[in-house]
Amino acid sequence: MAAHLGKEKHLTRNKSRVLKVASSIGIAALLCASSVSTAATSSAAAKPSWCGPKKITMAFTDGFGGNSWRLVTTASGKAEAALCPSVTKFYYADGQGSTSKSISDIKGFVAKGVNAIVVFADGANAILPALTSAYKAGVVTVPYRVTVGGKVGVNYNAYVGTDFAGAGKNWADWALKNLPAGGNVLFLSGPAGNSQGTEEAAGFWKVMASHPEFKKIGAQPFEATNWDPALTQKVLTAAIAANPKIDLILSDFGPSLVGALDAAVKTGWKVPAIATSDGNVLGCFWKDNQATQPNFKLMTVSTQNDHARLAIDWAIAKATGGKLPGTVYPSYVFEDSVSGKPSAVQCRKDLPGDVYLSAKMSGDEQAKLGK
Amino acid sequence: MSVLEAPRSAILKRSARFQVSRGMRTILGALVMLFIISAIFAPSSVSKGAVLGMLPFAAVLAIIGLGQTLVVQQGGIDLSVAGSVSLTVVFVTKLPDQKDNRLLYAVLVAFVVSLIAGSLNGILVSQLGINPIVATLGMSSLLYAVMMIVSLGISHRTTVLLNKISSNLTLGIPNSIYFATGAVIVTTLFLKMSVAGRRFESIGANARAGRTAGLDVKRHQTSAYILAQLLYCLGGVLLGGILTQPTAYQGDSLVLPSVATVVLGGTSLLGGRGFPAASAVAAIFLSQLDQFVLSLKVPYAVRTLVTAMALLVGIALYSVNWGLVKKKILSVGAGKKVNEISHG
Repeated sequence: MAAHLGKEKHLTRNKSRVLKVASSIGIAALLCASSVSTAATSSAAAKPSWCGPKKITMAFTDGFGGNSWRLVTTASGKAEAALCPSVTKFYYADGQGSTSKSISDIKGFVAKGVNAIVVFADGANAILPALTSAYKAGVVTVPYRVTVGGKVGVNYNAYVGTDFAGAGKNWADWALKNLPAGGNVLFLSGPAGNSQGTEEAAGFWKVMASHPEFKKIGAQPFEATNWDPALTQKVLTAAIAANPKIDLILSDFGPSLVGALDAAVKTGWKVPAIATSDGNVLGCFWKDNQATQPNFKLMTVSTQNDHARLAIDWAIAKATGGKLPGTVYPSYVFEDSVSGKPSAVQCRKDLPGDVYLSAKMSGDEQAKLGK
Repeated sequence: MSVLEAPRSAILKRSARFQVSRGMRTILGALVMLFIISAIFAPSSVSKGAVLGMLPFAAVLAIIGLGQTLVVQQGGIDLSVAGSVSLTVVFVTKLPDQKDNRLLYAVLVAFVVSLIAGSLNGILVSQLGINPIVATLGMSSLLYAVMMIVSLGISHRTTVLLNKISSNLTLGIPNSIYFATGAVIVTTLFLKMSVAGRRFESIGANARAGRTAGLDVKRHQTSAYILAQLLYCLGGVLLGGILTQPTAYQGDSLVLPSVATVVLGGTSLLGGRGFPAASAVAAIFLSQLDQFVLSLKVPYAVRTLVTAMALLVGIALYSVNWGLVKKKILSVGAGKKVNEISHG
């Protein structure tokens, strides 16, 4: 009995051990399962629809990367690619303003065997042959922001453009609301003949076709400033002298206006309404001057650093088998000093002037890029 | 006045260094003509606001043109203007980080770097005999590289103090004009009145003769590049203040205008006598020309043509021997008359 009891006891002890082991295995298995499912759930939540399962390497090339706008744009592109775990390597090259370097960058990445390449096409039509050879080599090729000629499906997979005319339309809609009596409109853009300014002007004046109270002043379709603060200052000085009455200034690079406005204000000139693109320095200029400049209403559209994100999304989607997004990045209103919608004028005095608060990347993160 | 002094002062008055140069007469005449044409065809370009807006840029170009004049009169050319001005602008905007009390330190750093860059330019060209175009273009790239290291190409807002120093008006005139006037006076006095300056000019006119006379040609040529860099630096500091939010590439657009001021001021690109004051007037001419074409209510292409035509006329005033042209026209006329008589 005792032995039996002993045997029974032994069996019971063994049984309990087995049970303990089994239960611990079970708990561990359950824990593992739950942790796996958690991981699966979190990666499913984080993994965007444009990120497919196929592993790829990709490249992002810039025609010119040496200014703050480009720096933020490139960092935004990198951050976007990092959202997709299928991208195993992300390369970047800066063309440094040289079309020939941009071309060799593209060719170099193709030779390296990347699966996808996104190109800020500063070289325009001059880089089309390099894009075509990348496309023909089977690389998902996506030029963006600057048109390169050629055709989708022949020279590249997609062109991810933006709606520049949409910015013009946004400016026009705002002007109609805020300048009911109309007025003289001066438009400052980049180099003479640049397609961005031409399309924006077309978008603006299309809306204004039925509003003759808005009149064009200065060179048409825009005054060329090369987006250079010095030339902008000279152009604005000449325009102010030639046109005593300016009611609305349009500009597709708001921050480059600030020096010119500042100099003009010192001569006693009254700042009119301005519709442009955003920049911290401009927002702060408005805040500093709004009290003494009653006509200075400000509206900005986003300066579109996040355009790069859409181009990256499209290229990754195509190369990894994800869901393809659209190919046009929209123009949207960022600040409106009158309605405060979608946002009041933003100014972060603690951050550098060339931070773009409309970007998805926070102003603080942008400021760190330049350190 | 003593008997001995009289002929000496008379000699000095006749001396070329105290006479108004042909370049100065021509560019002053051209400037007056340009203002008259501006007043007729684009009156807004000579309004008070437009002129006050133009003058700060003219002052910067004048200072940079002075530097280029010194180099050109030594038979060289300095294409490092772009890198030098851009780097200076970055120094005086980035280093202070909008704090006025750090401005002096930033300006000092800019001048020290310019001194080094000028010395290197001088050594490369005069001591090692490297072609000035190659040497200074290389220096410009080097300075751009430093600029990228310092700023990553990111522009920064200028300090309030620098903005005031450069842009505010004193007695109704932009402060930058006083800086430019000071630079012209100092440079002219140095070239025309000091022993070092006279040696500098004589070497520019004929380096071989200078060497024969026992002058240190290489040292004088090196000093031209150093002085030029210091003047570019001064121009860059002012430009950094005039533009509230300058870019990191602000010197790019100044290379060709700096050479144009030298040519329009009458200094030969082959070297020789230099005319700093005339170069400064040429800077005002070029800046007013910019303002004039911007104020003309014509398309962009026509503006460019007008600028090109004005420069062509400006250069032709020097390079064409008008006396000879007149003679030839007269002789053709006389020849025709002779022909008419003989045929008659």
